[in-house]
Parts: sequence; C-alpha cells; structure tokens
Amino acid sequence: MPMLETSQLRPEPSKGKAIVAEHLSKTFRVTKGVLKRTKTPVVAVKDVSFEVDHGELFGLVGPNGTGKTTTIKMLTTMLIPTSGTASILGYNIQKDANEIRKRIGIVLGGERGLYTRVSAVDNLRYFADLYGVPAKLRDKRVEELLQFMGLWDRARDRVETYSKGMKQRLHLARGLINDPQVIFMDEPTIGLDPEIAKETRKMIQELVEKGKTILLTTHYMFEADELCRRVAIIRNGEIVALDTPSGLKKYVMDTSIVEVEGFGITEKEVCQFREASEVLAISAELGEDKQILKIQTARGSEIISQVQEILKNSRIYDMKIKEPTLEDAYLRLVEGSRR
Amino acid sequence: MSIIRVFLSSAIFSFKAQFGWLYPPMWLTMKLVMSLSQMAFFVFVAQFLITTGHSAGPDLVAYIAVGNAMSVLSWNTVFSVINITSHDKWDGTLQLVLATPANRLPLFVGRAMLHVFDGMISVIIGLAYAALLFGVNFGNANILLLFAVVFLTAVAMAGFGLLIGGLSFYYRDPLVFANIFTFILLIFCGVNFPVQELPQLLQPISYIFPLTYGVEAGRKTVAGASLAEIAPLIGQMMIVGITSIVLGYFFFTTFERLARKTGSLESV
Amino acid sequence: MMLGQLRVIYSAFRLAMLHWIADPQWVIPNVIAPFVFTFVALTLFKGAGGPFGLYAVLGGGMMGMWGNTLYSSGFAIEFEKWQGTLEDVMATPSHLLHVIAGKSISNALFGLTNMVAILVIASLIFRVDLGVASPVLFAVSIVLTLLSVSALGLIFASAFVLSRYTQVFANGLEFPIYVISGSMFPIALLPFWIHPASYILGPTWGIEAVRIATAESIVPTVFWVNLSIMVVITFIYVLLAGFLFSKVETKARRDGSLVEA
Repeated sequence: MPMLETSQLRPEPSKGKAIVAEHLSKTFRVTKGVLKRTKTPVVAVKDVSFEVDHGELFGLVGPNGTGKTTTIKMLTTMLIPTSGTASILGYNIQKDANEIRKRIGIVLGGERGLYTRVSAVDNLRYFADLYGVPAKLRDKRVEELLQFMGLWDRARDRVETYSKGMKQRLHLARGLINDPQVIFMDEPTIGLDPEIAKETRKMIQELVEKGKTILLTTHYMFEADELCRRVAIIRNGEIVALDTPSGLKKYVMDTSIVEVEGFGITEKEVCQFREASEVLAISAELGEDKQILKIQTARGSEIISQVQEILKNSRIYDMKIKEPTLEDAYLRLVEGSRR
Repeated sequence: MSIIRVFLSSAIFSFKAQFGWLYPPMWLTMKLVMSLSQMAFFVFVAQFLITTGHSAGPDLVAYIAVGNAMSVLSWNTVFSVINITSHDKWDGTLQLVLATPANRLPLFVGRAMLHVFDGMISVIIGLAYAALLFGVNFGNANILLLFAVVFLTAVAMAGFGLLIGGLSFYYRDPLVFANIFTFILLIFCGVNFPVQELPQLLQPISYIFPLTYGVEAGRKTVAGASLAEIAPLIGQMMIVGITSIVLGYFFFTTFERLARKTGSLESV
Repeated sequence: MMLGQLRVIYSAFRLAMLHWIADPQWVIPNVIAPFVFTFVALTLFKGAGGPFGLYAVLGGGMMGMWGNTLYSSGFAIEFEKWQGTLEDVMATPSHLLHVIAGKSISNALFGLTNMVAILVIASLIFRVDLGVASPVLFAVSIVLTLLSVSALGLIFASAFVLSRYTQVFANGLEFPIYVISGSMFPIALLPFWIHPASYILGPTWGIEAVRIATAESIVPTVFWVNLSIMVVITFIYVLLAGFLFSKVETKARRDGSLVEA
C-alpha cells in the first residue's frame, strides 16, 4: 500500500463526477429465533441513484430507518450492495474499494466508534497510521485537526471523559485525518449544542470552499436548506425527489401552512385532519403542556373553519398562516404518498 | 404460591440471560469439552509421574479424575452466579429487579438452582469420562449416594456463590474476580492433591470452601463409602454452605442499600 | 509495501499496549491460570526431583503465553465490536489481518512476562533450579514460539469475527490446547489418534525445542529440526489466516455483521 499524498491524486475539477450511485439496493437477511432459526429478508435500500459533482455539498434527507446510513455505508465500501453499483472519484466500490478508502473520510458520529480508554491524540494517530498518512505529516496533522476542532487542550485526556459534543468533534477530526477528497457525514450536528452545531456547519462550508466534496445526511431541514447545493429526499429506501432546495420548495409553492398552537389536541384530532381532503400533509408536536400542528393545505384561509370544527374540544392559543419551507416540502414528499 | 412463581420465573430469566444467546447444541458441546479437558490435563500429568516411577500408581489417577470432575462445580456454580450479578449490573436490569417488591431471596434461589442443575450435569459428564476414559472404578460406589453428594456440594457451592456475589457488588470487573476464584480453588480444595500437601499456614483456608468437603466425600463415595462414613463431611459442608448463604444475603442487601444511597447501581 | 504493513502492525500493537496500561487488572486472570497449574504440577512433582521442576515451570510459562493470545485474538475483535470501531477500522485501506496481528503480538508479549513471573516465583518459592544450558537458544526458541502462538491466534480470530459466540469459544479452546500440545507432559502419553493434532500445532514443537535448550546436553540437530518445523507451520498459519481474513471481511461486508446487533 503505497503512501501517497492524497493531493497528488486529485483529478481535474471538471472531469467526471465525485460520486455516482446507480440503482443501489441492499437487503439484509436477519436471523431470528434460538432453536428454530429463520432468516427474514429486510430491505434497507430499495433503489437509490444519484450523482454528486466535485466540490458539491450534497444532502441526503429522510426519516430514520429509510436507508440513509445504509446508503452511506455502501458508498464508503463498508457494505456490499445487493445490487447496483457506484463509483467514487471514478473508482468502483467493489473492484477498487481500497483506492476509495484512501481518498474518502467517513464521519458516522455517535457515542461509539472511538477508543474511549485512550486519548484523542492516540485515537487520531492510530487511524492516521491505518490510513497511511505520511509519517512526517502525521503528528502535525493530528495537532492541526485537534486545534481546528477546539480539542487541543483536552487532547491527552481519555476520550471517555469527553462530552457528547467533544466526541462528535473528534469523529469529525478523524474523518479528515487522511485529508480526503470526498467526505461522508451521517447526521454531523445531531446532539450538539446550538453554538457548536453552528460552528460545525461553518466548518463544513469551509471544507467545501477548499474544494472538498461532501455528502451529508441530516433530518434538520433548515440545515439542508442552508448548506446543501442539492438535496435528495429518501423514503422507504428510495429517492422520491432530488433538486436544489428552492426547486424542492416549488412542490409546496402552491400551498400554505396553517400553524396551530393549542392545548388538548391529541392523536385523534391529528388523524381527523389526515382524513380531511383539503389537508395535504400534517405534522404534529404533541407536548405535555402545548401542542403544535402544521397543516399543509392549498388555501390556508379556507381551512380555518374546518380547523375550528375539529378542534372544538380543544383550546386554540394561536393560529398562523405561513409560507412553506423546505421542511414542509419534505413533509409533503415523505407523507404525501402515504395516502 | 407467589414465592414459587418468583422462584420459577427468575430461574427461567436466568437461563435466558445466560444461555439465550447461546445455541443449545453449543452449550452441550461446551460442557462436553470443558468437563474433559481440565481433567485430561491433570490426569496426563499424573500419568507422567506414574510412568517415570514417581508415584503410587493408578490410585493417583482416580484421585485426580474424581477431584477434577467435582471441581467443575466451582466453575459453573460460583462463576455463573457472579456472572448473573454482573450481567444485571451491566445490562442495567439490576435496578429494575431490585425495584420490584418480589422477595429477593426466592429470586436468588431461583437463579442459583438453575446453576446447581447445570453444574450437576457437568459433574456427571466428568465422572462418566473418569469411568470410561480413565478407567476409574465405580463398581463399589453407591450411585444414589454419589448423586446426593454431588447435589449437596453443588448447592453448597451455589450458596457460597451468593457470598461472593454479595461481596463483589461494588467491584467493577466481577468477571476478573470470578476467574481468579475458580483457579484458586484448584489449589485449596484438595482437587489434585491432599490439603495436607499445602504449607501449614495455608491449610485452614481450604476449610472455608464447601468444595473441599464435597470432593473428599465424593472420592470416598466412589471408593465405596456408606452414608454413615461420609455424614460428618456432609454435615460440615452444609454448615459452611448455610453460613455463606446467610452472610451472602446479608452482604447483598447491605450493599444494595448502600448502593441506593450512593447511586452506584449502574456500572460506571 | 511491507513498510506500510509493518507500520499498521506496530500501530495496532501500540494501541493494544495502551489499552493494557489503561486496564491492567485484566493481566491478573491471565497470570493466575498458568500460575495455578504450575503450582499444582510442582506440588505433584514434589519429591520427583530432576528435570520435573523445570518441566512444570516451562509448561506453565507456555500456557501463560497461550492463554493470553487466545484471549486477545478471540476477545480483540469482540472488543472492537463493543467499541463500535470495527467498521471504522475495516473502512481504512489497511487489512484487518495486520491490525489483529499487532494486537496478537502485544498480548503474546504480555504472555512472555507471565512466563517470567512464573519462573521467578517457582525459583523463589519452590526452589526450582532454573539453570539453562544454552540461554541463547532458549531465548530464540521462546521468541519464535511466541510468534507461532500469535499466528495460531490469528486463525481463530478470523473465525471469531463473525461468530456471536466468540467469548464462549475462547474459553473452551484454552484447555484442549494445553493438553494436545503436551505443555506439561510428553505427548507420547496421549492416545495415538491425538498425535496428528499435536503435530500440527506449532507450540508443540516450540515447547520441545525450549526443553531441549534447557537440557544438560543439547543435541543441536534435534533442536533445529523442531524449531524449523515450527517455523514452517507458522508460515502456513499466516497464509491460512490471510486467506480466512479476506473471506471473513467479504462476508461481514455482505451481511453487515460488523456492528453489534
């Protein structure tokens, strides 16, 4: 495994695509039972195709369990697809897996995935060695990354003493350890304090400005809206829409959102709304002391009487009519086909 | 009636917790292999001594074979009981279990009994190996009495396990503790050589462990002893066993109370 | 190419050492078992005199080395699963084989310290004469046996990657190996049908070579024959492990079983 500077491998910016996914699918066979073991197939990804340009920040959004993480794992060679193919920087994920691994960074995040009994420095040095980062660059890069992530003054402490946010930043540092050209991030800001999340987003943008290609998954719509040049919405293992954020909003251009804030609203009422013909989609936050409904409909004003009818046994504190956002577009696309 | 229900349900829970993730045929294979290999090891060492003229002869093989067959009880019983305690701690279920109003003693007894029967199976397999592979003569033995000795030793060791379990409550790695313990018993319980071979100072330690009495009783029974002849040994063993159960229960409830105060029920 | 691989092995070795230092209490059970067996053997051998003492002690030391390696190989991969790092490691361009090899060597090294501990205790408490006829040959044979045991551990490790019952197997394999390799008695005592199994175990030849190195009058040819056979067997182990690991990696990537369910 030759130890090359990955910058030597950078192709011409306009040549080819950074990521090409063609009809990727993944079915797992899950074994159940102790005495009589049966294998049931579970379809994690049905059919996913898309392309990402060099230097693009591409978003993959969708509800939990719809195949985002599985797709990333296939693209990063952690999983072999059941069918379909993909290439990263022109390298095939099955035939040239090792070439891909040298050039990409993966940030899966979470509480696990780090060696908690040793320090951040030791974690990064280890992975630097596994990625074949040139020896003379290694320690310098480790220091730079930890400084960049604001972890340098705790760098020699055991990772088990880190907060969730610090661990996430360490994951990010590790994702960059081999100076990758393409970076895959799975929900990079989840669980982070708002200020840190904001800084992380800024950092992601800086990386793109430096010419990196980034594919990230998120379920924060505003994040996708803010960061991504294009967004793919994935549902039940398939992509249901792929466009720029403004393009996606056009799905809901002809609609408005009626936002209702009240008390005493339950699932029952939400279901009633779903049944209603004028309601295109609805999202509900049913808190203990307050409930918020966001009702997507063609013409907001016409639905108000119906809202009052359904909610006659509840108390309405506030009702607003708003312009749809990317989140609403997403909701519509994700929920729309449930009817 | 409800006590029996707690007893049974905790036994089943224990089984699932310990073996639910093990495929049953695998459990059996493990039993067959592990019962044999420790015995085989020491038997061959003994035969090494015999063939080079350094030992009394075939009696040594019988001594070691029976001793090792019974020593298995230390592994299954003590190790398993501690394991259960630590698993609960790790799985976070201990808090839930302690929170139920169910009387705690039946709970413990339920689990321990499962391991008693598990241990007995190991010993029986071991004794079968001793007879079939290593030519130990069971002709004079009162088989029923032998079963009784094995059963009582297993119970006594399970009781002893409660003591260890009670003490290991705070310990971070109970598995380490358990591991050490099962091996220490090989030195102290007269498994491979008589307690008298140990340095004078250490000998009293042997008599804390029920296994010491059980192994001796087992050997005597295999050689043809009657109930009357081994009754004193059994009596002593049961005293040790019951004392451990009482102490174990005391320690467990005390530490649990302390743990509630300091909040250390979940492992670090 | 080789340099990169060695670097990975060393890095994994170093990480394993750091973990040992972080959790040193795990050394204890690994020392206890061989110590206990040595104790028992020495007590049994008491009065037998002659080379028996050294026989027991060397056997115990060997067992200490073996127990560690098996423990590390079986447990190492499970450990990665628990930490959630197995996926991340397999996503790097480095081979899992080299990573586990580094760990395996680190744990065999700790096994070596077990052996030293047993030797020290045996000579102090049991007054066993530790005179070694040829220290150089002794050292060479110990080191090579160490590597052989590490390589055997790799083979088990490859099977363990996919099995949910890793720890169970690790517990069960320890003793049979002690018996079959003739660590504390000549394998001639074993039933003839076990002998083939003894002969394919590298450690069997290694232990014999170590014993010869301690003997009063060494027959060099016999020593080198034993050692060479062990080295050849070790090479075969490494090749086999390499083959098994690549099969295992492919299967794990197909089933997604790298993450603890």
